[in-house]
Amino acid sequence: MLVGMDVGGTNTDLAVVEDGISSLKVPNTRGIADVLHHVRGPGRLAVSTSTPLNHLLTRRDWKVTSLLIPGPGLRWPGGVKGAVNHCGDIVEEVDREEVTSFLASHPADALAVIGKFSVRNPALEQKVAEYARGFYPDERICLSHPLAVLGFPARVATTRLNASLKEEVFRITKLVESERNTFLFFRGDAGLSPPGDVIRNPSVLTNSSAAAVGLGVSYLTGLRDCLVIDVGGTTTDLVPLESGMPIPEVLVHEGTRTATHVVRAHSLPFGGDSVIRDGLMPWREGNALAFGGSGPTLTDALNRTGFEIGDYHASSGLDRRLAEQVVDEYCRKVAEAVQGFDSPRIAGCGYLAPFLVPEIAREAGRQFSIPPHAECANAIGVAVSRVSLTLVAHFDGVRGRSVVNGEVRRMERMGDEDELVESCRQEVRRQALEAGAHPRDLDEIRVLTCSSYDVVRGAFRRSRITDIVVQVAPGITVEAR
Amino acid sequence: MTTVIVFDEAYLRHEQSPDHPERRERLSYTFDQLREDGIFDHPSFRHVFPVEATQEQVARVHLPEYISFLKEASTRGGFIDFDTVVPRGLLPLALLAAGGAIRAALSVLRGDGENAFALVRPPGHHARAGTGAGFCYLNNMAIAVREIQQQGIRRVMILDWDAHHGDGTQSIFYGDSSVLFTSIHQRPLYPGSGDTSEIGEGDGMGYTVNMPVPPGTGDGSYHYLFDTIIAPLAREFAPDFIAISAGQDVHFTDPLAGLAVTARGYAELVRKARQLAGEVCGGRLVAVLEGGYSVEGGLPYTNLGIAAALAGLDLENIREPEVFADWLLKAQDPSAHQRVCRMADTLRETLAPYWECFSF
Ligand SMILES: [Zn+2]
Repeated sequence: MLVGMDVGGTNTDLAVVEDGISSLKVPNTRGIADVLHHVRGPGRLAVSTSTPLNHLLTRRDWKVTSLLIPGPGLRWPGGVKGAVNHCGDIVEEVDREEVTSFLASHPADALAVIGKFSVRNPALEQKVAEYARGFYPDERICLSHPLAVLGFPARVATTRLNASLKEEVFRITKLVESERNTFLFFRGDAGLSPPGDVIRNPSVLTNSSAAAVGLGVSYLTGLRDCLVIDVGGTTTDLVPLESGMPIPEVLVHEGTRTATHVVRAHSLPFGGDSVIRDGLMPWREGNALAFGGSGPTLTDALNRTGFEIGDYHASSGLDRRLAEQVVDEYCRKVAEAVQGFDSPRIAGCGYLAPFLVPEIAREAGRQFSIPPHAECANAIGVAVSRVSLTLVAHFDGVRGRSVVNGEVRRMERMGDEDELVESCRQEVRRQALEAGAHPRDLDEIRVLTCSSYDVVRGAFRRSRITDIVVQVAPGITVEAR
Repeated sequence: MTTVIVFDEAYLRHEQSPDHPERRERLSYTFDQLREDGIFDHPSFRHVFPVEATQEQVARVHLPEYISFLKEASTRGGFIDFDTVVPRGLLPLALLAAGGAIRAALSVLRGDGENAFALVRPPGHHARAGTGAGFCYLNNMAIAVREIQQQGIRRVMILDWDAHHGDGTQSIFYGDSSVLFTSIHQRPLYPGSGDTSEIGEGDGMGYTVNMPVPPGTGDGSYHYLFDTIIAPLAREFAPDFIAISAGQDVHFTDPLAGLAVTARGYAELVRKARQLAGEVCGGRLVAVLEGGYSVEGGLPYTNLGIAAALAGLDLENIREPEVFADWLLKAQDPSAHQRVCRMADTLRETLAPYWECFSF
């Protein structure tokens, strides 16, 4: 049994995929614990949540301080002493007094610690984190080495984002774990991760709702190339699919490229709950009149054009001509956005898709379909996803150590390239199984990078350095097929 | 405006033998350093991939017999000198290095960037028209210079800052007044040429300028030579384009040479060259990597420094880690500067008949 749960801004969607599909929508006011009571029994639970990001958006006064250990290179203001070189050797030590006086003079809500080449040796970042424990709780300190990839500026941007999300992700994890022993987070690139990994790098949750509908529609329709239009309460999201998967791209935060990849999506600030004044407004104030709200929304406008959604009589206070005008305006705006994508076909999902997507498709001149269960495609996408992991490894035969996803290990002997690749495959396999992956989802482990060079000191070849990246890519689990 | 970085991972592929000084490891750490410093995502830089130089472009510099030899040797393996063997499969990689220099120069010409840095391997400045030498097969710099001249650039000034004399480049342009070749290099050191008395021949008399410096020469002397020889020459020659043969074996940690230049000192030289190019030739400036064998202590920091200086970024933090401080003290020879000044006096005297800036 596969259980998917998508915690949105106002509702939580649940889907259970077993022999058939069943789904449920629960208002958030009842709390996550209450929702989880609906899915007692065995089966894998996967959770997608946009709440950490919403949380971030609502507390504008939150401040993250970055403590940089830039070492030699381009100039970064606000750095402290200390340096790790390209091979992971500590070539300059950090100074405890400098660090603590920096922290004392830069008070903030959370701390991001980023050292250059920390992905080759995290020791200096860890040392700074230790000094920082007197200033911040663990849930508000983020380090950059778990990001595993080179690119100091990208790690600065990612770690800053992580520092503002970590505490909330930590809270949600504890909450879910109090009801279920194990669960997985659904990431913004449509893969699943164990909570520990996500707490170390919460930025991966960005765009997870878009990734969820993308994967869900792919599962429900079997379409390889199409544009998913998800009509939600507050937004309408456009998510293109290629070869049956949403398309990963670099996440940008504070105008800087991060080290995180999430699916490509375009979000319009209009949905079924968008307020109507003299036209459609890009915000939500509450439910539609048809669902017990106090003012008319796009949903009520649909009712006035002839549909019967919810308590449709309640929508009758809205002027009919204004209603028609608002629906037209909405469909035109979405159709315009559709022109930015060259997918031949549109697939609609979300509760209001059957009422709006046909008109959007007509306006945009594309074919469309709306699969069964379209109203909970998001939660289905979360349910049918699979564990996906990336292993970034750097093997240094000279120094007798390897660094795997930012963690240093001793290495007794340096194998040849084939051996090292095989050991990486096995490790990623072991980690994925530990996280709850289905063994047959691990049939294909991709080798994304494999390069080596000899290290010569004096006139002698001393050993080799090898970089390997292997991945279990995101996708739909065999259990759901 | 941006600085174009020409680089391809294929440049990490060439290797004569695993323990040769000119080996893959040379650029691997540099590549790591550039990636970690975010150069490939930085708004001031544009990463461009090279394409192989064409037969026609190479034939403007090298003799047909030599090109045929390289082709042949490249399939079976071959021998040029004890430092320079031809490993199998060399030719496409050598063509890609020459093509990288061309790509860099043309992107500046076309305005894709204000200036450019070609991080190529194998190097080129010892290669002559008819033979390779000293780890070099094709003269990347000369091939790029001839290409931009083909595209309408008339006068080019070359600043060869490799620790070794750029004898190949010198010989190619020795009789040519359209290319002003200047070289600062250590003496004594391979290949032994590059005396102040070598100043060109025929039409090219006065258009070859050699500045041999003793071991232990450091940043101060290099800047002295830039300010008192290179800059005045540039103003008088008024080139349309400046090209740096950016060898980095001048670094104080280099195992093959005995000079004492720092990453910061080198970067500041490039900053001055950028200013000079702005003054005399609309900023058109390209740097092409030549030698440099201090794979860990020198190359990552110097290459990053060159890139940063070309882009006009703050150079304050371009430096080696502190652990190298003693090494620098040992490499410097305080008496070297006096000898550099005497050499410069001799040079000015020798060149006085050809350059007004040096006449009394
Ligand atoms: Zn050299």
